Amino acid sequence: MRGIRIVILLAAAALLLSPFLAARPVQAPQGGGAGAVSATIAPPQGGGAGAASATIAPPQGGGAGAASATTATPQTAKIEAAPAAPAPAKKPAKKAPEKRTETIVPAFTGIKEQTAVYVFYAWLWLSIVVLIYFLRLWVRESDRVYHAKYYEPEESPRKANPLPQVLGD
Amino acid sequence: MRIDNAYFTRRKFLNSILGGWLGALAVTFVSPIVKFVWPPYKEPDEVKLAFADYSGMKPGDVKGFAWGVKPGLLKRAEDGSFIAFVGVCSHLDCNVSWMADKKKFFCACHEGWYDENGTNIAGPPPRPLRRLETSVEGEDFFVRKPGAVVKS
Amino acid sequence: MKIDMKNVGAWFDDRLALTPIFKYMTKKEVPQHEHSIWYYTGSSILLFLAIQIVTGIMLALYYKPTLEGANDSVARIMTEMPLGWLVRSIHSWSATFMIAFVMIHLLAIWFTKSYRKPREATWMTGMMLLVVSMVFGFTGYLLPWDDLSLSATKVGTNIPNAIPVVGKWVTQFLRGGDDVTGDTLTRFFLFHVCILPLVIFAVMAVHILLVQKEGMSVPLEAEIKKKKVPSLPFWPNFILREVMIWLVLLGTLMTVALVFAPSLGPSADLMSPAPAGVKPEWYFLFLFQTLKIFPGNMGPVTGEFVAVVLILLAVVAIFFLPFIDNKPEGKKGKIINYLGVLGVIYAIVFSIWSLL
Repeated sequence: MRGIRIVILLAAAALLLSPFLAARPVQAPQGGGAGAVSATIAPPQGGGAGAASATIAPPQGGGAGAASATTATPQTAKIEAAPAAPAPAKKPAKKAPEKRTETIVPAFTGIKEQTAVYVFYAWLWLSIVVLIYFLRLWVRESDRVYHAKYYEPEESPRKANPLPQVLGD
Repeated sequence: MRIDNAYFTRRKFLNSILGGWLGALAVTFVSPIVKFVWPPYKEPDEVKLAFADYSGMKPGDVKGFAWGVKPGLLKRAEDGSFIAFVGVCSHLDCNVSWMADKKKFFCACHEGWYDENGTNIAGPPPRPLRRLETSVEGEDFFVRKPGAVVKS
Repeated sequence: MKIDMKNVGAWFDDRLALTPIFKYMTKKEVPQHEHSIWYYTGSSILLFLAIQIVTGIMLALYYKPTLEGANDSVARIMTEMPLGWLVRSIHSWSATFMIAFVMIHLLAIWFTKSYRKPREATWMTGMMLLVVSMVFGFTGYLLPWDDLSLSATKVGTNIPNAIPVVGKWVTQFLRGGDDVTGDTLTRFFLFHVCILPLVIFAVMAVHILLVQKEGMSVPLEAEIKKKKVPSLPFWPNFILREVMIWLVLLGTLMTVALVFAPSLGPSADLMSPAPAGVKPEWYFLFLFQTLKIFPGNMGPVTGEFVAVVLILLAVVAIFFLPFIDNKPEGKKGKIINYLGVLGVIYAIVFSIWSLL
């Protein structure tokens, strides 16, 4: 018992410590880490913001990115550039999507989908018919069982039945 | 055939048919609901850009483009050709950035580093950055999934 | 120890004491008589509510409740999501079916006088459920944010203004301000998916518990003559019949939703005039027409004020019906029955009139 506990403890410890024990080259330069957060070239941001607001983002995103990338490392310049970059990137990039003027009418996307849906509905109604057929049988049976007092052996014709109730049901 | 005492009765048989059919009906309802709930969005197979935006890139420059809803990174190699990366870290999907002074891609979430070819060199990323194929056709600049056959 | 259904069931039963619930279900008896068919209306409402919850959650996955995004998100659901238009259609039709069955249920209870003692509280919680269902419908109608729904909401939220003293505050609460704006839409969405579901679950729990506690009611004549009405157990006999009804209702709903799927108009413009033919959902038509027939000015007050006060009085009267109809077997009881018929005729006639 004690041996098993020790094995479990060791396994748990190995599991918990594994991220720290795994051998891998650690190389993140410290200064780069701090600078990198603010020194990101806008293309990913500009591209991201542009992509969100319109379909043709890269020119604006790239343009704004190039503009802010050239203002080199000073962090304040970056922070000022960052809010500025998305704003001009958005204005020209955001062509307001034309307002829809037509009514959208529900329709199938293709003949495959249409056939699948109609087949499903046929199966649905077939199931309903079959289920109701069986349900009627079941209802008739349960009514019969109730009226025959099958489950109250004291009053039913079953009272002389020596078989236990579990059999058959 | 009449069996006096049976473990499997007509009642049980009918019950199982009814229950089974009800179950099958319920299952056929599940599939369309699942298809609806799990979003059908996929990455695009190809993206068309205007070459004019990228023709002015100098070797070693990195510019962004939109790859569906993910950021793409376009790098002009020394020989003038383009390499396209999906700018998403292979560790946990954060967007990576290009550090021009170090000529490396950096992922700020867990300090992952990739070299200028997208190979993971430090930090947690397990795989290099995904590459995409590029081709210039006249005024259009196409970025495609590698091996994607696009119907024109 | 063998793990099978019996032992697993016993494990839960030891801790949750579920056996009394199952025992009760087998012991509960449902009377069988010529009016027994109306017993099925209550569970049908539950069926449609369940369908509403499932389809509602599916729609809410992709719906955006803001002024800019609402109409487009519904358009996206209808065009991009697989069979999204069918999900929306089922949700819309199930709302109609549910409110129709709520009204049928109300009429059945009215004419069988099942609200008499000791079931007054059941009637009152039921009236609250009626109001909540109609508010569900009203808030849901705005969410696609097209011209028709915007106008209908403007009219609808303007009506409380006519209530004395508190009217203005009610309107401002509903609209999130003085006018219908994007805030109204977000507010209606919150009502529709969070506040009203909580309210309806709470009130429905009380309603259903009361029904179980008091037992199923029997017709008036049987109670007066103290006749013993034959009955069937709830489980399995009545439940099986209910399942049959549910299946037929489900099939009908889905077929109607497929054939008569609603379309979506373009996004509403807050500045443009009301479109021609603006009308609320069908269950509000008779109220709409009632408001229309009162003249603009009636003495010192507006016609709208008189109409709203009359409607409120009627609703309050119906709410307290068990106390008004305290002698159901007497002459007053007969008059209440005739009033009920009159009410149905009024609702139908006015609804049709409003469409002409």
